[in-house]
Amino acid sequence: MEETPPHCLSRLPDNSALKQQELPAHQLYFTATRVLSAFFTMGIFCLCMGIILIVSARSTQEIEINYTRTCANCAKLRETASNFDKECTCSIPFYLSEKMMGNVYMYYKLHGFHQNLYRYIQSRSNRQLMGKDVKAVEDCSPFKTSNSNTPIVPCGAIANSMFNDTIILSYNINSSAQIKVPMLKSGLTWWTDKYIKFQNPSFKNLADEFRGTTKPPNWPNPIYELDEKDPRNNGFLNEDFIVWMPGAAFPTFKKLYGRLNQTHHFKEGLPAGNYSFNITYNFPVTRFQGEKSVVLSTLTWCGGNSLFLGLAYTVTGAVTWLASFAMMAIHTMLKSKKRSFFHQ
Amino acid sequence: MTVPKEMPEKWARARPPPSWSRKKPSWGTEEERRARANDREYNEKFQYASNCIKTSKYNILTFLPVNLFEQFQEVANTYFLFLLILQLIPQISSLSWFTTIVPLVLVLTITAVKDATDDYFRHKSDNQVNNRQSQVLINGILQQEQWMNVCVGDIIKLENNQFVAADLLLLSSSEPHGLCYIETAELDGETNMKVRQAIPITSELGDISKLAKFDGEVICEPPNNKLDKFSGTLYWKEDKFPLSNQNMLLRGCVLRNTEWCFGLVIFAGPDTKLMQNSGRTKFKRTSIDRLMNTLVLWIFGFLVCMGVILAIGNAIWEHEVGTRFQVYLPWDEAVDSAFFSGFLSFWSYIIILNTVVPISLYVSVEVIRLGHSYFINWDKKMFCMKKRTPAEARTTTLNEELGQVEYIFSDKTGTLTQNIMVFNKCSIYGRSYGDVFDVLGHKAELGEKPEPVDFSFNPLADKKFLFWDPSLLEAVKIGDPHTHEFFRLLSLCHTVMSEEKNEGELYYKAQSPDEGALVTAARNFGFVFRSRTPKTITVHEMGTAITYQLLAILDFNNIRKRMSVIVRNPEGKIRLYCKGADTILLDRLHHSTQELLNTTMDHLNEYAGEGLRTLVLAYRDLDEEYYEEWAERRLQASLAQDSREDRLASIYEEVENNMMLLGATAIEDKLQQGVPETIALLTLANIKIWVLTGDKQETAVNIGYSCKMLTDDMTEVFIVTGHTVLEVREELRKAREKMMDSSRSVGNGFTYQEKLSSSKLTSDLEAVAGEYALVINGHSLAHALEADMELEFLETACACKAVICCRVTPLQKAQVVELVKKYKKAVTLAIGDGANDVSMIKTAHIGVGISGQEGIQAVLASDYSFSQFKFLQRLLLVHGRWSYLRMCKFLCYFFYKNFAFTMVHFWFGFFCGFSAQTVYDQYFITLYNIVYTSLPVLAMGVFDQDVPEQRSMEYPKLYEPGQLNLLFNKREFFICIAQGIYTSVLMFFIPYGVFAEATRDDGTQLADYQSFAVTVATSLVIVVSVQIGLDTGYWTAINHFFIWGSLAVYFAILFAMHSNGLFDMFPNQFRFVGNAQNTLAQPTVWLTIVLTTVVCIMPVVAFRFLRLNLKPDLSDTVRYTQLVRKKQKAQHRCMRRVGRTGSRRSGYAFSHQEGFGELIMSGKNMRLSSLALSSFTTRSSSSWIESLRRKKSDSASSPSGGADKPLKG
Repeated sequence: MEETPPHCLSRLPDNSALKQQELPAHQLYFTATRVLSAFFTMGIFCLCMGIILIVSARSTQEIEINYTRTCANCAKLRETASNFDKECTCSIPFYLSEKMMGNVYMYYKLHGFHQNLYRYIQSRSNRQLMGKDVKAVEDCSPFKTSNSNTPIVPCGAIANSMFNDTIILSYNINSSAQIKVPMLKSGLTWWTDKYIKFQNPSFKNLADEFRGTTKPPNWPNPIYELDEKDPRNNGFLNEDFIVWMPGAAFPTFKKLYGRLNQTHHFKEGLPAGNYSFNITYNFPVTRFQGEKSVVLSTLTWCGGNSLFLGLAYTVTGAVTWLASFAMMAIHTMLKSKKRSFFHQ
Repeated sequence: MTVPKEMPEKWARARPPPSWSRKKPSWGTEEERRARANDREYNEKFQYASNCIKTSKYNILTFLPVNLFEQFQEVANTYFLFLLILQLIPQISSLSWFTTIVPLVLVLTITAVKDATDDYFRHKSDNQVNNRQSQVLINGILQQEQWMNVCVGDIIKLENNQFVAADLLLLSSSEPHGLCYIETAELDGETNMKVRQAIPITSELGDISKLAKFDGEVICEPPNNKLDKFSGTLYWKEDKFPLSNQNMLLRGCVLRNTEWCFGLVIFAGPDTKLMQNSGRTKFKRTSIDRLMNTLVLWIFGFLVCMGVILAIGNAIWEHEVGTRFQVYLPWDEAVDSAFFSGFLSFWSYIIILNTVVPISLYVSVEVIRLGHSYFINWDKKMFCMKKRTPAEARTTTLNEELGQVEYIFSDKTGTLTQNIMVFNKCSIYGRSYGDVFDVLGHKAELGEKPEPVDFSFNPLADKKFLFWDPSLLEAVKIGDPHTHEFFRLLSLCHTVMSEEKNEGELYYKAQSPDEGALVTAARNFGFVFRSRTPKTITVHEMGTAITYQLLAILDFNNIRKRMSVIVRNPEGKIRLYCKGADTILLDRLHHSTQELLNTTMDHLNEYAGEGLRTLVLAYRDLDEEYYEEWAERRLQASLAQDSREDRLASIYEEVENNMMLLGATAIEDKLQQGVPETIALLTLANIKIWVLTGDKQETAVNIGYSCKMLTDDMTEVFIVTGHTVLEVREELRKAREKMMDSSRSVGNGFTYQEKLSSSKLTSDLEAVAGEYALVINGHSLAHALEADMELEFLETACACKAVICCRVTPLQKAQVVELVKKYKKAVTLAIGDGANDVSMIKTAHIGVGISGQEGIQAVLASDYSFSQFKFLQRLLLVHGRWSYLRMCKFLCYFFYKNFAFTMVHFWFGFFCGFSAQTVYDQYFITLYNIVYTSLPVLAMGVFDQDVPEQRSMEYPKLYEPGQLNLLFNKREFFICIAQGIYTSVLMFFIPYGVFAEATRDDGTQLADYQSFAVTVATSLVIVVSVQIGLDTGYWTAINHFFIWGSLAVYFAILFAMHSNGLFDMFPNQFRFVGNAQNTLAQPTVWLTIVLTTVVCIMPVVAFRFLRLNLKPDLSDTVRYTQLVRKKQKAQHRCMRRVGRTGSRRSGYAFSHQEGFGELIMSGKNMRLSSLALSSFTTRSSSSWIESLRRKKSDSASSPSGGADKPLKG
């Protein structure tokens, strides 16, 4: 039993760095210089960022007008479903004390409308919306087909609940003359939405393409009659429709309704003065205790008039700085006590 | 026949397949076995198992169903299957089925592939074993057959050095009286040869023609796993012959020193005792495993709580808001009330939040452990060059426990010592030889030895024997009569057998290595024991052959502790030579030797102080008449029917008296390399080492001293040798009192009694001042381990720095381990090399086998094996420590990352009407754990190092966090969870704050669900990547690759999933088209991600920095001192051999069984040829075998399980 079988010679482990756990490596040391300088730099960065963000957010202007209560009579009317064909308009005057420079964007804002419910988000058919097969309604429950079993186009809960108020902004040049502020209904969506996600079956007669289908129950008009003025803004490519379709992440959200067409009086934006919103009130929200507003806003590089990010950065920067001072103090105290092993 | 040595190992390692659960003949369990020789038809009736063994579990067809069935028996897998089923119910499914099925399939596949590979190798080894050739007697002709075709009832022929193919009844052999020698190392680990004998009636069946006619029938017990028991009866020619284990050759044994033998197959294949014994050892789990399981249960509880909260939220929401929102989203048909909706939402949330316990946890843990095991296997520093054996992690699931060991239970022989005895020193007639002097006459230190003594004058000298003191050889050469007599004694007084293959090439077969060492020493000094017959011993004394007449061997036994021979030299003088333990022998010396005695005593003390095993040699001249008379009385006594042993003993005692002192020998029980250093280092690492040995107390204590477990600086060494319960209790109490006395500052002696009654063992005894050691004997241990005393014993023992238990049985070894396991809640490690260590290896949390020694039984039972004790320090301090560290860091991070990931859904629940809407894209949920975050943490778990390996050896204290369980415990777990929840809060609310108000720079809305999902997912991936970067202490190229790679893969997959192409193909599956490019182009989104990362990470950095400053632990300190290397390190370097001063201890060198003396005198073991030469008077034919057998069965049946026969330590 003494002799070593020849195969044992091969049992000597390889002398590779991997197998001997001697791979070259560098270790992470939390040395005082590194940590403190990282903290200081980070603090400065955050503070600067915060200040920049706050300044740019402050440079924007925003007006938000909640018209749920103002148009209470219309809201009341819409709470009963049978009144769907009765028109209700409502006008909300407001005064713009400062002129809004540059591009002005108009949004509608819904409060307490849950576009992020699981079943709501699921209830759409991308196959239908990309125009491949208008009768593909399989994911759309509970709004797949009408009672007579004709497929709904566009199907699903999202499409059915589309926001359908008409908001017209008027500018009162003087006490008597009112002109309509020109709004663009284009460029409200992403390129990918307009050219990939949403496609009409063809560019010919939309009504033919959608034959054999029916409109969603809440809609007054079928999909191909969404925009009577601009035939190209119809079907699945209607901008309002595309804006509505992606679900919002939170129950309070605003969606782009239009942007200022900078012509005539409005070359430089909205001048200060009296304005009014003329709203055709169709979309019921009071039934689920929701609210709706209309928002006018200008933008900067970082989006709208949101102070949150700027404030958060400033606070973070300040705290980081304080922390780094505290850490430095503790470190120096300890270092003088036992000048031992934390060296740079 | 060349059979790879590992083969049986493979049989035994394999798990017995379920089909083994007694596939028995149709009439139920076998009650007795009948096998008729040479009658296959008859034997076939019983449908006995064939000799084909099957350790594999699957074949190609059964693999899938059986393997899947087994895998789904695991709780985790069933849980995920359950989730999968939940997901298939449309009403509650909030995730696609693939988010669960993809990871599950992955996990199942990995496991299946591993199982399949294992099974493939089992198939291979099975085939190899089954296809071995053996010679079977069929129809009167010997034919070559494969092992698997051997049937019960066949007669097979075995040749020397062949493996036994099945359990055989020995029929006849080439040796006289049907004797046959076997080595049972594969079976029970004992390497000494064993004798088996055919029953007389069959031993004459020497040739094939006779065997072919043999038609005896054996009726015997059914298959069982008792290796040392067999009972059966042979019916042949209307006669009955009882059969016992003495007639059996078991599968796995090797035939030795026997040309051939024939055997009748009784048990074949799975019925053989070897296979019956190869049961799967109990599955061991680590404490981290257990903790992990508890934590996972807690997390399930937490999951259910979250589910309940969200379900209640959902019910309230549906009641308050949802009912009114039905214009836009009517309830599902199945839902008729808000309450029911809440109920469904509970299940939905269970599905969504299940990722807090990710399925990949278990797989990752296994992968990491496997990696660590490979590191152990690959470690060059644990490779033994001499034996060419690498270390082997035989269990891949225990690695991190190696970093938590608190108690080591070590075997002695073969583990601490090499079981090689070296004749080191001797004292002859008052002069001591063997010390090495350098040129200046100072005692030389070890390691700087001069040239060894040249034995070239003696052609018969053993080349391997080394001696360093030339003066002894000079004394022999000038013919000093005492020296001659000394070596003459050594060459005559023993039971060694010699074998001379070629002229001058002598091989000694000694029963104990000490005897071999002594006889070899005599041989080199010119007194060559050449050969023996039952009545003579031939010795070459300084070149001339002298034949002594051997008159009697007064054999060794444990009580006598000595052995003598009585010889008549050619001149006719009768002399008794005796060697034995000093304590015994010194009383029996002639009073005239007093002065010599004193010098010799001094020498003995000196030798003992060096840890050498000593024997005293003496002789006595006997005159003819006295001898005649004595021999007559001895014969009478040996024929006596009753109390023969006692009578003989007293007669022996009578003659071994008034002896003349010759001198003493000192034998070094060679320690394994590096043992004292290892023990010292492990002690510094706060690991307590207990030696459990079957050896005698003296030997054990000697070894304790030589490996520095015991030192002369110790305050006291308590020795417990009581034979009764009361004595033992008293001795333990005294020991405790002494320890208490010396360190008493408060309290009185009775306080500990109260503590004993409370089950928790907290004891101020543990903190006693001074160093104590406890030595306890096997018979005392038996009492100490009884239920009412075990706590007292444990407390005493744990207060001592070193504990040595000697003369313990294998069972007691296991009991001691069990005791410590039970009360100390500490991780135990048992290390041993022999079959007697198997029980303790299996009992301890971790079992380590020393490979390349005797047998492989210990290795088979062990979890780790390597060939040198000294590798233990590397296994524990380097591999164990790292494994523990890595596993803890891994678990902390893993729980953290999954909480950070999952809890975001919980917060989102409050904003989405508790509708079980997920925050992330479902593909992200599927891939997060298995792709985006798995590899960096695996790399950390496999490769991380806090301090380099040299440092962990230099600072053994680094081992302590593991023992104290500091790196991963419930507190650490909660910290990780808290960090995870903190991260998830920021991860949700910072983007929420930003998104709620902000718009894109082109005016379109930012806060759509999909952009939010992408932003949160991206910042999550970045935050956890930065976190793993901080956690990784040791950035290798692999870590870089995995961390950067994971980020890259995340973005690559993100953009791919959001690409136009996939949307075109599957518009309903890939809904996020264009989202990545639109969202990630926004500066606001990136600012959000950066802010989230900063806020999540900065506190962690600050916290770590402060902890480093305020409360650095040792590993931090070591890391930071690495650059400024400092003094501290040499703690263990001053461990040279010190302390020549000796307290009075002595050991005597006998470690063999009695009984060979009788065998020699009977001449049974001699070949007939040599017997013919000797004038050999026959005694009753099988008397020695009878008595040998009786002794064996006595000791085997005694309750202590053979405690009185020296077990290998």
